[in-house]
Amino acid sequence: MLFLVAAGLQLVFGVQKILNLACGSFYALGAYAGVSAVRAALAAGLPAPLFFPVLLGAGLALAVIGPAIERLLRPIYDRDESFQLLLTFALVLMFEDVIRFVWGTAPHQLGNVYLTYGQVRVGALTVPTYNLVVIACGAAIAAGMGWFLARTRFGRIVRATAENREMAEAMGVDMARVYSRVFTLGVALGTVGGALVIPATAAVNEMGIDLIVEAFAVVVIGGLGSMRGAFAGALIVGVVKAVAIATWPEVEMLAIYVIVIAVLVLRPAGLFARATA
Amino acid sequence: MLALRDVDVYIQASHILRKVSLEAAPGELVCLVGRNGAGKTTTLRAVMGYLRPAGGTITLAGQPIGGLPTHAIAARGVGYAPEESAVFGDLTVAENIELPTWTRPGGRPAAERVARAYDVFPRLRGFATRGGTQLSGGERKMLSIARALALDPALLLLDEPFEGLSPAIIPQLGESIAAIARLGPAIVLAASNIHHVPVYASRLYVIERGEIVFAGLPQDLRGRPDLARIVGQAL
Repeated sequence: MLFLVAAGLQLVFGVQKILNLACGSFYALGAYAGVSAVRAALAAGLPAPLFFPVLLGAGLALAVIGPAIERLLRPIYDRDESFQLLLTFALVLMFEDVIRFVWGTAPHQLGNVYLTYGQVRVGALTVPTYNLVVIACGAAIAAGMGWFLARTRFGRIVRATAENREMAEAMGVDMARVYSRVFTLGVALGTVGGALVIPATAAVNEMGIDLIVEAFAVVVIGGLGSMRGAFAGALIVGVVKAVAIATWPEVEMLAIYVIVIAVLVLRPAGLFARATA
Repeated sequence: MLALRDVDVYIQASHILRKVSLEAAPGELVCLVGRNGAGKTTTLRAVMGYLRPAGGTITLAGQPIGGLPTHAIAARGVGYAPEESAVFGDLTVAENIELPTWTRPGGRPAAERVARAYDVFPRLRGFATRGGTQLSGGERKMLSIARALALDPALLLLDEPFEGLSPAIIPQLGESIAAIARLGPAIVLAASNIHHVPVYASRLYVIERGEIVFAGLPQDLRGRPDLARIVGQAL
């Protein structure tokens, strides 16, 4: 799911050239909204196995905040990065308070709903089927994004805009509309990511900030602005984390930073940095 | 088609264009000649809406366009091929050419617009599936102009189409531009060298330090030795 958030960050940075710290907040919001939506659905008598579409729907529905947030960020597009970081970090803090206000400070959990899909044995491990569903979903979204960017007209316009905004405008591309849609897509990637991850963990207020750090690690490893990089980076970070937790839990974060530093030293632009024309 | 009246443009505190007036009627090819830094690109960028004139008016087909956003000006049928070509390297040649048919639907059918672009630059046909980065400088210029042509423009702005090209390719590009002129749009061509002005140019403007210092037919330049050093020798 880290991939989804990192992909959102990549997409927004690639096209709009802004570093959006608030992507972590979208993830947290998606998680909380997912918890609430599933609880409400179960209380309304929905059969438990249908919780998955409810989560997806909650994540997607939350993306409606995208255009409003994008509007708020519009004045800083041409400003220095420090302004972007300041304003988006302010958003992070505001969203934290919104979450505290609406959901309180206690962690929220969905209990064992995710086990309704059963478990499967993979070799010596027992894995909840839901985790596999989430992985499949991430892969499907990755493939969908790839298809969207490579094959659709709007995807091509998005790539052209990312490469040369001025020239895209001269070709009749309305930047305000492209930005609004791209940003909303980035928000949706974050909120869906948050919603999908929640059955297997707990929604806590710090999850947004924690995730930003990891998402940036993914972006640094993969290369800023590259979708394939986001996918590869998320895989690397995910696997390293899992291995570290299983073998030597104390170095979990350290291991990731070691990789980040190694990438920065050896390939400063990231593993999948795009060659610029 | 296009008319600039006393246009003043500042970039930050610098007064770049001073009371620039210029006209291009449908079917005309008008050349804007001047040295590097004289204000040619600034003039075209002001028409394209990247720069907002501080004074004067810019009209397109009688409608004022000064202050409109760039995409709205493109939507009214202004095609722009910048000096640096600005080909989208991430897209293929075919995608570059088709892009304006998606962003500006209406008018001529998309297939016809794309076909016209390839007819004018037949060389690009063989490269259709190539990426925009895998082109030579001359091919990038062609693609940039072909892409502007696929916008189905009523006015075409060409900034230094011949600059930096090998002498071998210049006549070929000149013929392509002549073919575009026969299709009917008004064309404003900026050039830093008088030798690059096509013989069929309808009118010539010489710009120096942001001011139009000569407006007339190319042959009228002969009696103006004072302009020779601005536009190149051998008049």
